[in-house]
Amino acid sequence: MSAGATPPDTGWNTRPAPTPLDLGRRIRPKVARPAPTPGDPDWQVKPQAGPPALRPLDLEKLYAARLQAVRARPYLATALFALHLVESRQVPTMGVDRQWRCYASPGFVERTAVEDLASIWVHEVSHLLRDHHGRSDRLARDLGLRDPADRLRMNIAADCEINDDAFGDGLVKPAGALTPRLLGLPEGKLMEDYLRGFSFDLRRPGLAWLDCGGGADGVDRPWELGPDGAHGLTAQERDAVRFRVAEGIRGRPGNAPAGWRRWAEEVFHPPQPWRQLLGAAMRSAVSGPGAGGDYSYGRPARRSAGLPGVVLPSLRRRPPRVSVVVDTSGSVSDRELGSALLEVAAIGRAVGGRHDQVTVLSCDAAAQSVGALCRAAGIPLIGGGGTDLRTGFAAALRTRPQPDVVVVLTDGQTPWPTVAPACRTVVGLFRRPSRYDENNGEYRPDAPPEWARVVTIG
Amino acid sequence: MPMPMPAHARLDVARQLLDLLGDTRTEPRPDDQLEALTLAVAADLPVLLWGEPGIGKTAALNQLAEALDLPLTTVIASVHEPSDFSGLPIVGDDPAQQGVPLAPPDWAVRLVRAGRGLLFLDELSTAPPAVQAALLRLVLERRIGALQLPPGVRIVAAANPRSSAADGWELSPPLANRFVHLQWVHDHEVVVRGLGGVWPVATLPRLDPAALPAAVAFARRAVCELLTVRPELVHRLPTSETKRGGAWPSPRSWDMTLRLIAFATAAGSSREVLSLLVRGTVGDGPGLELMASMDRMDLPDPEQLLADPAGAVLPERGDLRQVVLDGVVAAVRNRPERARWDAAWALLLRALESGAPDVLVVPATTLASLRREDWEVPEAIEHLASTVALSRRADRAAGRVAARTNVTAGR
Repeated sequence: MSAGATPPDTGWNTRPAPTPLDLGRRIRPKVARPAPTPGDPDWQVKPQAGPPALRPLDLEKLYAARLQAVRARPYLATALFALHLVESRQVPTMGVDRQWRCYASPGFVERTAVEDLASIWVHEVSHLLRDHHGRSDRLARDLGLRDPADRLRMNIAADCEINDDAFGDGLVKPAGALTPRLLGLPEGKLMEDYLRGFSFDLRRPGLAWLDCGGGADGVDRPWELGPDGAHGLTAQERDAVRFRVAEGIRGRPGNAPAGWRRWAEEVFHPPQPWRQLLGAAMRSAVSGPGAGGDYSYGRPARRSAGLPGVVLPSLRRRPPRVSVVVDTSGSVSDRELGSALLEVAAIGRAVGGRHDQVTVLSCDAAAQSVGALCRAAGIPLIGGGGTDLRTGFAAALRTRPQPDVVVVLTDGQTPWPTVAPACRTVVGLFRRPSRYDENNGEYRPDAPPEWARVVTIG
Repeated sequence: MPMPMPAHARLDVARQLLDLLGDTRTEPRPDDQLEALTLAVAADLPVLLWGEPGIGKTAALNQLAEALDLPLTTVIASVHEPSDFSGLPIVGDDPAQQGVPLAPPDWAVRLVRAGRGLLFLDELSTAPPAVQAALLRLVLERRIGALQLPPGVRIVAAANPRSSAADGWELSPPLANRFVHLQWVHDHEVVVRGLGGVWPVATLPRLDPAALPAAVAFARRAVCELLTVRPELVHRLPTSETKRGGAWPSPRSWDMTLRLIAFATAAGSSREVLSLLVRGTVGDGPGLELMASMDRMDLPDPEQLLADPAGAVLPERGDLRQVVLDGVVAAVRNRPERARWDAAWALLLRALESGAPDVLVVPATTLASLRREDWEVPEAIEHLASTVALSRRADRAAGRVAARTNVTAGR
């Protein structure tokens, strides 16, 4: 498209600030396009002249589509503009590689409407932002998947993760877009869930643009330029782009849908598994002075005999005593509770405790199920108490000898002691949807107190 | 029938076989994690390698010691007692008069006598808290008992990540904050090639003497610019126990970051290496923010671009180009003058000639709206009309999307 050279007339100077649209109209009055109708050349298939292999890539159309994508999803602008467009006659439709190049087939671009291309831009960049290639590689390694068909399933799973909330709100769902619903699967899952949990029926029709390239499933394609090719992004540059997109979403969270907001929160700070966190909280609680194995000069070391005149400390291992208070008043499932208890017991043993050093107190009538789990784990279940956790704390602290650490497993719907107990406290909090009491709208359970180390479980 | 071999001869053959197996070569090979390790050791910062057991942390250390020509002293932290690091109290004839001296262990004495060396503290995370406390002094003050480690001694430690160590302790936050944390992962190719007899060699980065003052100035600017706008990043102790035992931002770790940036800049290291080091010193989040802020520092200054639009070199990448052009338009908005407005149009034109046109739509729209009554439209705008066509094409597509959605909603 070339611009007609019409000199600006004098009317220019009397008008208020023009927009480029005005400037364009002013300069090229004769090439104004007709209003958008179903007969619009962008919308319909153009009459084909000559063999398809000889037509050049319609860059203008792709750039217009990218512009529309940027307008519909401003928070993805950085990522969309970071993609480098490469014409390829080998790529079936459009695809991305791991170095953030976007390959487009001229024939496909010609056949596809601008608005569909805009959605495909967003789809492809989502593969890269969500690191689907890296996650595919990890899945392949963890699950031992080496079959090419497995990579196709990864691409499908990745598409499902993206497409369930990518379209709408300014973007159309392109023809042939694969959604979980199309495959009869639940929405809102992660790629890993789709891959592990469901089997795909690949004979279904409509799986038209499935090859999203190496950026989606981690396998190099013949048309890709590879890590040494031109215009690729290095690992650090890719991280920087993803970081800036995440920063933009976190800065103005109102504009982005929940899926992208969650991505932005977790992309560089993935949530840690609660087992690790609970273990760390317990280890650091029992490793404080006075508990666990540590050095003391209270008694000379065995080495001392060989080194007259040298005063050596000795390693005294005083196993930590752990009291676990279980709040069974809430809707804590036996399975969750059991796994949390086993975790506590295992850590107690690992840091030097013995079976009899871990005591469990339950705070409600559901002690039976807890008892069974605890017997299986070899933990004796002692005592009981009310639904008020404060009595649980008191009971735990009354046991003699006094515990070094109190671990409380609760859903948090309880009053807490007002003063810190005389030992370290770890609170394992089962995540629950907030319960609202219609008779007592003012009631909000207190958050766990400051002096406790809190780990959210589940 | 061959004579049975005597036992000592059989052992000699076994020795020959072992020698053959031990006969490996090294090759220079770009390896980001090895370069990061070498750079941090050169910068005299204590490094902590995190890695699963058996992936070659010790082998890498041997390579490094060889490359730096430093004798390697390995100390397994978890089997030592606190007094091995803080010094063994020796009771003399008259403790009240003479005091009780703290005698250092033999390896420390040898290290001090040699004057140089690589001290490798292995299995740091399984060391009990009291040993970790004693190590604090060794790592920070470089003192063992009464001995002061000479400047030629470098310290590297290794730890197994929590997930692979059944027991062990969280690294205490003060100790963790003194290290550059490097995640040590095995590179499949390096391992296969190494088992084939060729290991990568660590080369000491060559620091360019002419670039030193500029490197220091750059490092200071990079850290200070970020911390000026993000004061909350100066000190942030992580909330969870597991993260406290890793890299987190504090004035001390920012100071280490500054030093590492200066070293990486003077050595001409890649951004990948610098990213490993920075994220390993102040943590992933603050590290990435610093890297992003440094990327912006690399971009051309809008005022310089406006001063010489004909000689302007714009970044290739669309997203960076967008940032630069937005900056140029913002500069014109701040000080609207006819010459600057024209220069901005010339810059947009240059951008159109050398890159994708969709990036230009927003800056062109904004720039057009900055026009004053008496400013004539420059020639350049004619060429930019294609971006207007592009913009309208996108508008039409958006209109069709809206129409389609309305139809669906109405149904």
